[in-house]
Amino acid sequence: MKESLRALTRSQAWRSIFRHGLPLSNRTRAEAVFYNFFLHVHPAKVRKRSVKFTYTWGLGGLSAGLFIVLVLTGALLMLYYRPSVQQAYGDMKDLQFVVSSGQFLRNMHRWAAHAMVAIVFLHMLRVFYTGSYRPPKEFNWVIGVILFVFTVLLSYTGYLLPWDQLAYWGISVGTNMVRSVPFGLGERISYLLLGGNIVGENALVRFYVLHCFVLPVAAMVLMGIHFWRVRKDGGV
Amino acid sequence: MKPLRLTFAIVAVLFLVVLAVSPLKDYLREWKHDQTEYNRLVAGLPQRVKQVDIGIRQVWVRKLDRVDRCVTCHLGVKEPALHAAPEPFTTHPQVYHDVDDLGCTFCHEGQGSATEYRESIGKVKYWDRPILPRAYLEASCAKCHREKDVPQAPILNLGRKLIRESNCVGCHKLEGGEKQWIPSLDGIGEKVNRTWLVNWLKHPRTYAPSTRMPNFLLTDEEAGTLADFLLSFKTFPEEAALEPEPSQLTSAGADQKSKLVELGATRFREARCISCHPINGKGGYVAPELGKIASKVSAQWLYNYIKRPKRLQPGVVMPRYRFKEEDLVGVVAYMESEFVDYDVEQLPPHTPDPGFYEKGRALFKKYSCGGCHALSGMGRAEETGPELTKIGAKRLYEIDFGRSGIEQTLPVYLKTKLLTPHVFGESMKMPQFGFREDEAEAIAVALLGKTDDNIPPDLIVPDAPSGTFAPQGDFGKLVDDLACLGCHVMNGRGRLVATDLSLEASQARRAWIEGYFKVPYSLRPVLTERMPKLYLSDAEIKTLVDYMEMAFISDSLDHTVSTDPAAAAIGRGLYYERYGCQSCHQVGAKGGYVGPPLDKAGTRLTAGWIFHWLKNPQRLKPGTIEPNNNLSDAEADALTAYLLTLK
Repeated sequence: MKESLRALTRSQAWRSIFRHGLPLSNRTRAEAVFYNFFLHVHPAKVRKRSVKFTYTWGLGGLSAGLFIVLVLTGALLMLYYRPSVQQAYGDMKDLQFVVSSGQFLRNMHRWAAHAMVAIVFLHMLRVFYTGSYRPPKEFNWVIGVILFVFTVLLSYTGYLLPWDQLAYWGISVGTNMVRSVPFGLGERISYLLLGGNIVGENALVRFYVLHCFVLPVAAMVLMGIHFWRVRKDGGV
Repeated sequence: MKPLRLTFAIVAVLFLVVLAVSPLKDYLREWKHDQTEYNRLVAGLPQRVKQVDIGIRQVWVRKLDRVDRCVTCHLGVKEPALHAAPEPFTTHPQVYHDVDDLGCTFCHEGQGSATEYRESIGKVKYWDRPILPRAYLEASCAKCHREKDVPQAPILNLGRKLIRESNCVGCHKLEGGEKQWIPSLDGIGEKVNRTWLVNWLKHPRTYAPSTRMPNFLLTDEEAGTLADFLLSFKTFPEEAALEPEPSQLTSAGADQKSKLVELGATRFREARCISCHPINGKGGYVAPELGKIASKVSAQWLYNYIKRPKRLQPGVVMPRYRFKEEDLVGVVAYMESEFVDYDVEQLPPHTPDPGFYEKGRALFKKYSCGGCHALSGMGRAEETGPELTKIGAKRLYEIDFGRSGIEQTLPVYLKTKLLTPHVFGESMKMPQFGFREDEAEAIAVALLGKTDDNIPPDLIVPDAPSGTFAPQGDFGKLVDDLACLGCHVMNGRGRLVATDLSLEASQARRAWIEGYFKVPYSLRPVLTERMPKLYLSDAEIKTLVDYMEMAFISDSLDHTVSTDPAAAAIGRGLYYERYGCQSCHQVGAKGGYVGPPLDKAGTRLTAGWIFHWLKNPQRLKPGTIEPNNNLSDAEADALTAYLLTLK
């Protein structure tokens, strides 16, 4: 047993993945953190008071966790959903009536989305009240605000996808509000969003692409920067 | 540290339980239970019925773009052995359509994609078209069946008939009816009196229980103003003027008058006015009620009208009787003395309000009177009511139920609207038609079929185009003057109250037809809607019959039989012994009552007609109950020879 374990840890495959031996000295321990992708965001040191639960309430972590839930359930939902006027609503009904645990998936996605908007907002409040937006964290606050906007946009673009009355009119109202942007820009932005003047097939595809690709990817990039900066600025 | 771990452990277990709920719910789905029940049921049947594999089943109707999963639980739909099984396993009642062909929700409505009972019947918040109640199911036939008589759909047919008759298209945009503007109101000021008109406007059914005129629930003031407005129209169409009332009517002594009335009564009976007109509810259904006519119209108008109906009322379906002047005066005198409404209270003399014309005009427009009545200078009303071409697709949120407190479904809404239009709001302009409950339901059925569904063209059963037959020349003039097409059909045109005349000359002998015009009650004396006696001249009868012999004849029905008494004797044997015709037909007052008596068959019918009728009755009259006995030519010849001896 011991022999075979040793043989495994000495194999080329093992060593190509785990390039160091066990971290036995302080230096190798530090290196293990610095040189590991998953651990590299850890700060070099953490203040005791910022580890305290009631200081952060774990809201940032919860937001990130919900994002992961949304990505996973969303990916599964994408397997059954087709963004076309003919099929969108029917696919949703199929999820409800035929797909195993399909309704559970939808509900999970929906409630996680609601929760994420609320928790990201609470997270912002917490940052505001603890003054964590002050230098040297002012740049990260800006990124955070942008992430909040992305969260809301993700919610909004997902709203159209069931293609029911609520979705249709919700998006109609929303894009009509966009139209009142001054200097003649409103009409253009609304046209760009909908791919036309009405909420139709083009709008559905555009919102689908925004919801499933553009916004999540952009959010993930910004989240990477956000987390990295949090750690570098001494947070958890 | 310890309590934190404990909390973590408990929360983790709780999460696991919550997550386990979903697969558990999935495992305990309703339809799985139903399918197990079904398998248990069919296992216990004496017949061999195949069990089903557990799983969702569906009908995909590609041409209708529908997926119906109803058959997941309704497993016995096509299994005759399960006709007595409980729902949801019962056999579907016999209908022409196949479930694999059209699916379920195309006819029944409801949510086809659902696999739960409550969701599938669609009485849930987010489904617009819930399942049709059984009483309204025929609505779906109307989606494809545009023909007048839809097989196996009596309620739909009744509804469509009522929509046509009630002239719904006068106010609503709607397919399935031609607009009618009868009667014209021009000259009404010279026709009726104010008391009658005011009462009529307020309660049309008090005067004529079977009238098509609905009750607009007018106030006394509105009825009075509208009556004043209408009575100001004293000119008849095309400037036709009334001839003066004959002096016998105005200045005859009592003795002379009673003689006149007696003569009129005889002529009135002979002319069979009640074939078309009901009198106090008894009589035909084709024309207006006459029971209280003398309290409605002036004697002068009545005299002029009977003399030449189409002059005062262009397009009316009333024959011009060839009464002698004396007979005509008699008929008017009889009607004036007999058909009086003794209950009516004369309104006090009245000077119209100075603005009556403008106000009356406004009322005429408001209630869209022009939708049904022509009145010169008013134009024909546009469709003032809501469009109904897609009413069956109306969403519930588009309907204002007001304070009616009814069940909030489309069928019930339509039915209630037809019965009591004003229950949804005082300002509703739709009048009260006084439909019976079953009539309102039938109309609702016909309306519910008008959906916005995309029907593939090959499924649509179109309505047969109405005939365009328009006889010309002397015959054409007579047909128009005598309003023949009001009761007879000729080459696909006309209203079928009496018979189809398209093959008349092949059916009946010339001498018989000529005689029939003179003594019309010789045939079918028990019917109400009998041929009236029109007092035609011999020349006119000749014109009519000549034309029939040219046009209403088919060479394919020619046939000659030998009039040999031996053949007739064989035919007699066939009649009484072999085919037992006497069980339905009478000869010499002996026999059944189902078919017409054959006593004078030889005088009336041609040999060709009898022969071809016996060979295949349904060919000559589709839908007749006379059985096709598959006679050989020789048998048909012999029977024809026998029937021709009955004179």
